[in-house]
Amino acid sequence: MAALGGRGRAAAALLRRGPGTAPAAILAAGPRRHRHKEKWATTAPRVPSTRLALHHFDTSYSLHLGALWPSVRAGLLCEQKYGALLNNFAAVDHVPQELELLNATDFIFEAHQKVQQWQRGAAVGEAARGCQEGSGEGRTVMQAEMMAQAEMSPPPCASISSKIKCYTFPRGDITRFRPARPTSLGLLDYYLMDAASLLPVLALSVQPGDFVLDLCAAPGGKTLALLQTGFCGHLAANDVSISRTKRLYEILHSYVPKEVRDTVSVTSYDGRDWDQVKGGTFHKVLVDVPCTTDRHSAMEEHNNIFHKRRTKERQMLPMLQLELLMAGILAAKPGAELVYSTCSLSPLQNEYVVERALDIAEAQFDIRIHVEDLSHFRTLFQDTFSFFSDCRLGELVLPHLTANFGPMYFCKLRRM
Amino acid sequence: MAGRAVLRGAGRALLAGPALPAGPGPCPRRGCGEVAALRAMGFSQEQAQRLLALQPRLGPERREAAAAQLLLLGLNAEAALELLERSPALLRLPTERLRERAEELRRLGLDGGRLQRAVSRCPQLFHVPRKRLEAAVRLLRERCLFTAEQLREVLRTCPTVLLEEPRTLHHQFQYAYFRMGVQQKEMVKARLFQTPFAELRNRHIFLERRGLYETPHKGQTQTSNPKLKDILRLPEKDFLASLAYSTPEEYEVFKKLLAREEEEEEEEEDVDALYTEDDDDDDDDDDDDDDGLDSDGSKTVQD
Repeated sequence: MAALGGRGRAAAALLRRGPGTAPAAILAAGPRRHRHKEKWATTAPRVPSTRLALHHFDTSYSLHLGALWPSVRAGLLCEQKYGALLNNFAAVDHVPQELELLNATDFIFEAHQKVQQWQRGAAVGEAARGCQEGSGEGRTVMQAEMMAQAEMSPPPCASISSKIKCYTFPRGDITRFRPARPTSLGLLDYYLMDAASLLPVLALSVQPGDFVLDLCAAPGGKTLALLQTGFCGHLAANDVSISRTKRLYEILHSYVPKEVRDTVSVTSYDGRDWDQVKGGTFHKVLVDVPCTTDRHSAMEEHNNIFHKRRTKERQMLPMLQLELLMAGILAAKPGAELVYSTCSLSPLQNEYVVERALDIAEAQFDIRIHVEDLSHFRTLFQDTFSFFSDCRLGELVLPHLTANFGPMYFCKLRRM
Repeated sequence: MAGRAVLRGAGRALLAGPALPAGPGPCPRRGCGEVAALRAMGFSQEQAQRLLALQPRLGPERREAAAAQLLLLGLNAEAALELLERSPALLRLPTERLRERAEELRRLGLDGGRLQRAVSRCPQLFHVPRKRLEAAVRLLRERCLFTAEQLREVLRTCPTVLLEEPRTLHHQFQYAYFRMGVQQKEMVKARLFQTPFAELRNRHIFLERRGLYETPHKGQTQTSNPKLKDILRLPEKDFLASLAYSTPEEYEVFKKLLAREEEEEEEEEDVDALYTEDDDDDDDDDDDDDDGLDSDGSKTVQD
C-alpha cells in the first residue's frame, strides 16, 4: 500500500469522478448511484458508455460548433435546467403567483409580449420616420429605438400560441422547481421538462380543430404540450415502444381530463408504417425522432446508445430518422405543416435527414416541401435559450451553463 | 545580522525625535524606565508606547524579552511591532518557546528573510503546537514524497501548510496527484497549497468538463493539459479568458452547480454508508488500482 494512496471512504470520495472524466483505473467511479458495483454485476464495463459518447462528441462537435463546443460540453455535463409546463386542465390559478414569487417567468408569455411590442413598434416606426424627414436632427432615443425595432419587423405569420404556459428561472438562476402536486381537480399542476422541448411544439402552431399526429410520442412531454393548446381536434399519439407508451398513458391520466383524453388515440405502430395506416390525413405532424439523446448519453450509463452492443442500432439511426420523417410527410395533407425534431447536436441526424427527405419526397413521391424560416424564433426566445446561429436549415438550442436547456434541433416544413 | 538591525533601529530612533519625552507629552504611568529600555532596543518613542499598550498587565521583562527575540530574528522594529499588534498573544509565550520555534523553522529551511516574511505574514506559526507542525512536515516528506528541497520551497511559498491539519493537506495533495495527474515538482512550482481546495477543484473541473483538461492514463507522461501553475496562479479573469475560454457569468453558474453536486454527493454517501456493509472493500479496490505509482514515488525520495 503506497504512502501516496489513502484509505477509506475519504480517499474514495476524492477519487470519485463526476461526469465526463477519464478513468485512470478500470473501475471508473461515476456519480455514486450509477457507480458500477463490481460485486454485483456480471459484466464489468471496460470503458463506460458515457466516456465513449463524450469521445464521439468531442470528435464531431468540436468541428461543427468550433469555439462554442467547450461551453456546450460543460453544459451537457452539468445539471440540466427544467421548465414547468402549466397544466391548463388542472385549475392552476395560484401556481403562476407562486412561481413568480420565486422569480420564475412564463417565457412564452414574454415572447408573446415581444411580438406585440414589435407590431406596435412597426406602426410607430412608420410615424417616426415620417417626423424624421421634417426635423432632420434631434431624433430622440426613443424614436431611434422604435426605428431599430421596425427594421427587424417580424414576418407576418409570427404568432405564438399563448395557451401554452411554461415557467423558467432566469438566466444563471439554478433554482429547482418543487415536484408537481395534484390540484383540487385531482390532476397534477405542472409537468417538469426541458423547456427547449416546447419549441418544436410552438413552431408547429396548432390551429383550432387541427388533426395532429405525434409520430414518436413517448414518453409524452410534447404530446402533453400539444394538448395544452386546446386546439387539437384529434391527436394521434404513436410510439413503437410499448414500454415507453406506458409512460405516455400515465402522463395522460395524471394530467388530462377524460373528455380531452377521448380526443387522443394512442397507438403502437412502427412509425415508419404510418402512411400505410392513414395517409394524407393530418393538418399538423410532429416527428420527434429517436436520436443519440446527447445529454442522456453523456451522463447516464443506463440504457446508453453508445454501448458497444448497440453500435449497429446507433449507426442505423439516420436511416430510421429519415424513414420516420418520410412517413410523417406522407401522413400529412397537402398544405399541412410538419416539425422534425431531435435532441442531438449532430448534423447527420438533423439537417442531413431533412435534406435527404426533401429530395426523396420530390424524386420518389412528387411531393414538394417548403422549409419554413424560423429565425424569428431565435430572436424571440434568445433571452431564455442559447441558439446556434449557423444551422443550414432549422434551429438548434445549445446547452449553456447560464441556460442549460437542450440540445434541441427543430425544423419546420410545409407540404405544398 | 540581528545585532546590526538593532543598531540600525537605535540610530533611527536617535534621528527620529527627542531622546526623552518632552514636557506635555504623555508619560506612561508604568514609568519612563520601560520606555527607555524599549528605546534602547531600537524602538522609537511612538513605537515604544504602542508596544506598552499591548497586554498592559504583562510584566516589562516579558515584553522586552519577546520584543528582543523578534528583533533577533531579523525583524526590524516596525515589523516586530506590527507582528505583536496583530498577535498580542505572542507576548504571552515564553521567550524560550519563541526562540525554539524560530530554530525549528530555520531547520526546516525558513531562514533569514524567509523566516521574517513567514512569521510576519503568519504569526500563528509561533502558536501552532509542535506536534501539528511535525505531523505536517512528516506528511509532506513521507507520504506525499516531496524531496527535502521541494519541502523547503513549499514552506517558503506557503508557510501556512504548517498550520493545516495534515488530513486536509493530504486530501489536497491526493487530488492534485491522482485526480489531476500532477507530479510533486509541478505542485511546488504552482504553489499548490496557497490555493484553497475549493478553488483548485472549481478550476480543474471547469476545465475538465469543457474538454480542456484530461486526467492522464496510467503511464502517460505527456499531456496537453495546461500547467498547474497557470491554472492556479492566474487571476480568475485571466484564467477564464486565456485558459478556459469562458466568461465570468458562465463560471459563476458553474461554481454554484458544482457546489450543489458536491453537497448532494455527500448526502448520498452518508445514506449509502447506512445501508452498505462492504463499503470499505470497494474503496480498497479503488486504492489498489489508483496508487500503483508507488514505485515511481519512492524513486523520487532523496535525502
